[in-house]
Amino acid sequence: MARKRISEYKAKMLLFEALGLPYQGIQVRNSDLSFYTSLDNTKTYVVKVDQGVKKRFKQGLIHLDIHSEMLLDSIEDLRNKGYSQFLIEPYYKHKAEDERYLALERIREGIAVYVSKKGGIDIEEQQNFVQQFIIPQDTYQEVAKYIGIDAKLVEKIIKVMDKFYISFLEINPLVVKENKLLFLDLAVEVDSAGSFFVKDAWNERDFIDYAVEHTVEEAVVEELSTRSQASFKLVVLNPNGSIFMLLSGGGASIVLADEVYNQGFGKELANYGEYSGNPNAEETYIYTKQLLSLLLKSKARNKILIIAGGVANFTDIRITFRGIIQALTEVKHELQKQNIKVYVRRGGPYQEEGLAMMKSFLEKEKLLGDVSGPEMVLTDIVGEALRFLKSE
Amino acid sequence: MFNLEKLKQIHPSIIVIGSHPAIIQSMLDFDYLSGKTDPSVKAILAGNRRFERYFFGKKELLIPVFPTLSDIPQSILESITYFFNTTSGRRVFESTQEALQLLPNLLGGVIFAENVPEIHALKLFNLKEKSKKFFIIGPSSVGLLIPSYLKLGAIGGVDYRQLIASEVFTSGNVAIFSASGGMTNEIIRIVTQQGKRLSFALAFGGDRFPILTPKDAFLAAEDDSQTEAILYFGEIGGTDEYDLAKLLQERKVTKQVICYIGGTVAELFKTPLQFGHAKAMAKKGEETARAKRDALRNAGASVAESFSEFVNMIKSLPSVSNKPRKNYTIYMNDLKDRRSALITTSISYDKEGNLLILGEDLLEFTKSHSFASIVACLFLGKKEISTDLEEFVDFTLRILVDHGPYVAGAVNTIITARSGRDLVSSLASGLLTIGPRFGGAINQAAANWLRGVRDNIAPYDFVEEFARSREYIAGIGHRKYRVDLPDPRVEEIMKFVKRVDDQRFTNYAKAVEEITVAKKGNLILNIDGAIAAVLLDILKEKEEMTYDSLQRLIDNEFFNALFVLSRSVGFIAHFLDQKRLDQGLFRLDEEDVAYVK
Repeated sequence: MARKRISEYKAKMLLFEALGLPYQGIQVRNSDLSFYTSLDNTKTYVVKVDQGVKKRFKQGLIHLDIHSEMLLDSIEDLRNKGYSQFLIEPYYKHKAEDERYLALERIREGIAVYVSKKGGIDIEEQQNFVQQFIIPQDTYQEVAKYIGIDAKLVEKIIKVMDKFYISFLEINPLVVKENKLLFLDLAVEVDSAGSFFVKDAWNERDFIDYAVEHTVEEAVVEELSTRSQASFKLVVLNPNGSIFMLLSGGGASIVLADEVYNQGFGKELANYGEYSGNPNAEETYIYTKQLLSLLLKSKARNKILIIAGGVANFTDIRITFRGIIQALTEVKHELQKQNIKVYVRRGGPYQEEGLAMMKSFLEKEKLLGDVSGPEMVLTDIVGEALRFLKSE
Repeated sequence: MFNLEKLKQIHPSIIVIGSHPAIIQSMLDFDYLSGKTDPSVKAILAGNRRFERYFFGKKELLIPVFPTLSDIPQSILESITYFFNTTSGRRVFESTQEALQLLPNLLGGVIFAENVPEIHALKLFNLKEKSKKFFIIGPSSVGLLIPSYLKLGAIGGVDYRQLIASEVFTSGNVAIFSASGGMTNEIIRIVTQQGKRLSFALAFGGDRFPILTPKDAFLAAEDDSQTEAILYFGEIGGTDEYDLAKLLQERKVTKQVICYIGGTVAELFKTPLQFGHAKAMAKKGEETARAKRDALRNAGASVAESFSEFVNMIKSLPSVSNKPRKNYTIYMNDLKDRRSALITTSISYDKEGNLLILGEDLLEFTKSHSFASIVACLFLGKKEISTDLEEFVDFTLRILVDHGPYVAGAVNTIITARSGRDLVSSLASGLLTIGPRFGGAINQAAANWLRGVRDNIAPYDFVEEFARSREYIAGIGHRKYRVDLPDPRVEEIMKFVKRVDDQRFTNYAKAVEEITVAKKGNLILNIDGAIAAVLLDILKEKEEMTYDSLQRLIDNEFFNALFVLSRSVGFIAHFLDQKRLDQGLFRLDEEDVAYVK
């Protein structure tokens, strides 16, 4: 579906193996402490949060030079900050002036390579020192020479990117020390559409958002999307928001969410999400159920549900609305009790039948805010719904 | 190449890779409503069916289906100008690459699937850049729409009522581009509801590297003399809009541009939000909706701050179409209540009371054809056959007519007749005995010779294969005739093979016979095997049939059909004979039955 950040642990496993280097990192997930026996108590370690958090060092999410007997305390400290996935690596001393920056990104013209002789935690403030090259317009040699590494290394990394469908790879800092290289921190984004072709070299368990807590509803939708030809997305923005949106279409869903923001109700927006690609009634039912569960749980005093989308090309309105109505029917009493009104605007194949069905259902159950077809401007439904919200 | 004016000069012929019935039907409805008489979809690449059924207007249409591109006749391959690829994201690269290689006159195509890896999209992009002969829209695109010329994909809708409501059959001056398929269609509707018409519309798809870029589309709109204004819907994520801004600044695009870039809502959140499309996420400042709006505005485009402002900007475009709406009532009636026929046939039909056989008047047809020719034409489903086939079928029908009262079918007919049953019952009881052991040998022999020749099996290995599994070879062996006492009927049949130059099946059958008679004198090529071999040679050379079509004839029991038809005459003769001789009920004597414990 998109570019996804994978754990630093998995990223390093892939890179080190492809470069023929041994990797001694240990991944710690949740409260699994079985790693403890494999430690060498004559060495010291680095403990990091491995959940794709930016500026970890500045936030105190990396602990350096930790003795093995202190490791548990270190992990406990990070866990108390709300994290659950960690990476333990041997600690290597190095000087700040040996830190370089190397990042590679897949672009239309090839691979963009960003390098800097001043790597490290302040890279964002040091953008002036970052030099950009594009392979194949520029050569591996030019890149390598700029930061004093072997050209073969650059070539090998690009091969790794192609082999594992990697879209972005950033090493910062890259320590260049007496002909020895250290890849201290590594961030990798893979192209999730490549998962079939990499044959489990990485999979969805390696995505860092896998480690981030999701609501049950979001998890169900994610699972639904992977099992379906159609696509589904649901992100909770404000669990106690008052505006819930059941949207269709990648583009129209942005326009409709924008409209809520434009009208100054951004803080009230409970979710972003969309379904598209002609899901069947059953799938639409499951999706709607998740959204309604969130809607009924929200503690906001007044709530509305907006079911909206553009004029679909091939999504059958009759069939998707059948699924939505089925889910609404199940919780109609709660919806009535909480005085939630439903606002609908949609077009597409079999819209006449679909809209008529929706209107008669909402009317009968006294949930009707408004039902409109393509004769209404797409975003006007948001205005209608907000007017009701303001009047309550 | 993506030049609208040049494209419009060439008749669109589409191959659909993978099948998506709703979309294919909508493309045909578009053709019909545009007033075309020739449907644009020419072939479908899919699984095991040989045809898929669609409608062209009210009439039913069979579109040929092929398992792979290499199964498609050269003449069709050469006629194809566009592809619409609906295969899954995993198969897109492979299947598109193959289409680019094997379709010599391709102008372009659309890739519908989502979830195509970036690397694959970029490889196709590079192929396109290198060749410059064709365009590729997508991945994850609903397609390209050029009013009254081409609907390549789901774009504009799959329900014909949508197509009519969107007036996509008359050309106008507004070009519509968007990453989003839904928004493309939404904007088409806005434009047409205000009495304006589109010049063309397309969706790039929401992936990171659309193969046809927004820049390509803008340049095509600039080159298109019909287009006067460009409507662009963009989204947060990616940097394509900076290329557009550059085109405007450098005056490479001078036409009016109206834009809306969605995704300002992302400003609410600290961490970047991934929206529905793969590309729709801003990790860097330049990828935000706000930054891209500013860049386009500074370059001279009209940029809307809200969607309703966007709609108002579209309203302010000069209306060009004073043409009254086309009246679609007649067309609508044709499309409204269509339903699939219960039976599809290519043999005969009734046209205003006149019966047509293979498209020709019954009387005309029968007057100009011999019985054998009628049989062969109808059995093969074609109007004309060679005289060699006609004469061979005639001989076969005559020679197979009867083979004595001892054979299973004749015995059954006789017994049934003697039980006092009627003609049809007696005939049917005879026919029902025809199967693998009686009468079915011609078909099985044909299957043998075809397999041997097609798979290039050495005759010795072929015989050994049967010997090992202790099976008879259909077409070989006779009870009475031997190598030193040849079957005179086989000699007659063999005379026909002289009419063809390429006698590969007959030669193969003879080579098999040479090996089997060395084992046993009566394992000669029998009449069934001879008919099968000669008929295969004649069909291949004189009727220009391929191995695949011969295989289909065998699968459908064509060779058996000749036997059934001819032998029916013999069965009827036995029935009439029994009645004439007034034979009583048939019963076996005790000694005719062996009782075993």
